[in-house]
Amino acid sequence: MAPGALDGVLILDLTSEMGWYCGKLLADLGADVIKVEPVGGDPSRGRAPYWNGTPGRETSLRFWYFNANKRSVTADLGQYDGRWLFGELVKTADIVVESWTAAERAELAEHGVDPEAYMDAQPALVWVSITGFGLDGPRAGWQVTDLIAQAASGIATLAGYPDGSPMRIAGNQAYIVGGISAAQGALLALLQAETTGEGQRVETSMQEALSICQETAHLQWDFQHTSRERMGEQHRMPGIGTYQTQDGYIYSAVGIPGFGAPWSELIRWMDDEGRAEELTEPEYAETFASFNMRDLALGSTLDDLGPVMSRAQEVLTAFYASKASLEVYEQGQARRLLIGMVASPADIGDDEHLNTREWWLEFDQPTRLGSDDAQVRMPGPPYRLSDTPTSIRRPAPQIGEHNQEVWVDEVGIPAEDLIAFAGEGAI
Amino acid sequence: MTSSNGTRPLDGIRVADFSWFGAGPIAGRTLADFGAEVIRIESEARVDGLRLGQPQKPGKSGYNVCAYFNNFNADKRSFLLNMSAEGSRDVALRLIERSDIFLSNLTPRIFERWGLTYEELCEVKPDIIAAYQPMQGLWGPHRDFLGFGAVLTPTTGISHLSGDPERRPVGVGTNYPDYAINPGHTVIAILAALRHRRRTGQGQRIELAQIESVAATMGPALMDYTVNGVNQDRKGNQSSWMSPHGIYRSADDPSGRERWIAIAVRDDAEWESLCAVAEGSSFASHDRFATLLGRRRHEDELNQAISAWTASFDAASLAIHLQSVGVPAALVQDAEDMCEHDDHLAERGFYAYLDHPETGISLYDGPIVKLHGTPGYLASPAPLFGEDTFEVATDVLGYTAEEVAELTASGVLG
Repeated sequence: MAPGALDGVLILDLTSEMGWYCGKLLADLGADVIKVEPVGGDPSRGRAPYWNGTPGRETSLRFWYFNANKRSVTADLGQYDGRWLFGELVKTADIVVESWTAAERAELAEHGVDPEAYMDAQPALVWVSITGFGLDGPRAGWQVTDLIAQAASGIATLAGYPDGSPMRIAGNQAYIVGGISAAQGALLALLQAETTGEGQRVETSMQEALSICQETAHLQWDFQHTSRERMGEQHRMPGIGTYQTQDGYIYSAVGIPGFGAPWSELIRWMDDEGRAEELTEPEYAETFASFNMRDLALGSTLDDLGPVMSRAQEVLTAFYASKASLEVYEQGQARRLLIGMVASPADIGDDEHLNTREWWLEFDQPTRLGSDDAQVRMPGPPYRLSDTPTSIRRPAPQIGEHNQEVWVDEVGIPAEDLIAFAGEGAI
Repeated sequence: MTSSNGTRPLDGIRVADFSWFGAGPIAGRTLADFGAEVIRIESEARVDGLRLGQPQKPGKSGYNVCAYFNNFNADKRSFLLNMSAEGSRDVALRLIERSDIFLSNLTPRIFERWGLTYEELCEVKPDIIAAYQPMQGLWGPHRDFLGFGAVLTPTTGISHLSGDPERRPVGVGTNYPDYAINPGHTVIAILAALRHRRRTGQGQRIELAQIESVAATMGPALMDYTVNGVNQDRKGNQSSWMSPHGIYRSADDPSGRERWIAIAVRDDAEWESLCAVAEGSSFASHDRFATLLGRRRHEDELNQAISAWTASFDAASLAIHLQSVGVPAALVQDAEDMCEHDDHLAERGFYAYLDHPETGISLYDGPIVKLHGTPGYLASPAPLFGEDTFEVATDVLGYTAEEVAELTASGVLG
């Protein structure tokens, strides 16, 4: 097997759902990531969607996706023995990642589970905290969920329909972007620690990490003291926006200077298929040739552009509506027109390109439901490293699956002590 | 923003940044924040579209006054190199020979034409870490498809799954994947490759197909199809396990600006806390809402009742009140809130205000992660177009002043 870029790095992952992605990214790159779960298991193990739609803590597709390649041990940090065991494990670790709330953090510190204390004893240790709002500041104690972080970061107000409410972006993006931020911080600190022997605290604020995705809204405020508003599907010029097709929708971005083929190619395409109507007349070519989208006034609409543009929009709308989404996407792109299909999960799962690239990972996942393992087909990694490819080495762990292996074989707890710890509920 | 001049993890690392627009330059910006010397390759023949974009400093014009560009390129050096000019490839290779990292989000067709494939880079710099961010990858049937953030949002399922189920999928209002997902994943891969190089002496090629990078963030919804055959649809602001869970209209501010509050109730205890705050409201004493199941079953009615209640409140004050009793809530902030009224961000010093020669004191995003021991920081604002061409050519590339003059005259440096 090819080496992993993070071979030999031991990471303890104490996160809930909101911190899973960080550990996944690092595990997929070869780190040995051990989930340290409460005795009853990570409370977010039971999240939908489920294998075959069967709810349960061992059937969550969400859990499998974000926890494959990790191992699992249990330790009750509320008990002295559990904390002692955890302390022994920390001694072997390079990085600890947690997503505790401020209240949990304070309570654990009172019981001696204190990042600063571990770091004092172990100077090279990197301790990563994934939080909603950061470790300090007036809102450090705030409760956070994905929706709350998206609202507080300035991105929800930009998403959605102008006549409706602000909108959450799908996919728990606050947890994703928080995980991406934390993984960058963990690796920066690891590089520093491996060079100098000095570890450090790393802190992710989901609010801050997501706020970059305001795009220009905050910059516009800084320069002009005006706020960008939700655009929704408002068409400001023909060729740019969401269009209906025979079987769904496509997003068309034709006419942006420097991005792909221009409108003339769109007209040629419609003409080739006998659907250009009067758009082949010189009037249209001239209008598009002299049009620069940079001249669009802020907040202008299609109606402001006059009858030629309105007619072009009508013809284009009818043209897109006459074809299937995949046709529009592939045929348009073949003409170097910037068009994307509004793809559903099924469209992506069946996508010829991703399948040809063998992006999906397939493995058997135990479920504890009868004897059959689930046949899992899961999204592949975000990147491909030529010399240290990411790989799927093990399915997502069951609760405490590696207690024996880690506590006895690796940490060196005598087997009979482990039985005693289990008896008192410490593991 | 506490500016500092301390050591940073990437001190001594040089990046040859051939990228443009968002996903590439932001990755370079993070590397620069944490100490790398990032040399942005630009050219009069191929001006980064963001230099010409919005917002521009009022009353100013030219290549140096757009905040969209400046924000993503703080702390870099700008080096003019026209890759269409004869002799330019030698200069590019000379830079790559002296760099640790090569970064590009150009389409494969372009960097193949320029002769900057990984194999070609290795001829001059065998241990280069070369990060490519092609839209759909370096190979495959859609290899040459074009795109950017607003096209990736639909093609990766985000548009289909975001928004009102009764309405058309309209995207998320920005080029969302360009800002955190694609640059962030790229930096992670580069840092991992740096560690591998330090241990083994070997560089490598990173291929970040942007469509894969973004689709990887949609794992659970995609697996519902690939494992169960279930094709999910968008669900608005609803959650599968929290209720109420939504964004509710609150009182307009005195100037008539719409205000909204996000509320997410995770369990019955939080529900009871919400009801205690909302004593006397139409929903607070309703038995049908007492359990999660009841709240889910009557969700439309519940959301209407909550909207009726929030309508008279100031969203910011209500969020603080709800948080004080442990209920997840937040004002839906807009840019004005982020920049002017968010005491929390201000106290943490997230935004940096840097003095730029043409735009004056201007706002920049702070580093995307906080390292307590060796923090990232922005040492300088964005470079002016071509500002560092002479210094890079002489100090980094070792050309004499005469050679620089020749390369400038022949259009290579320009």
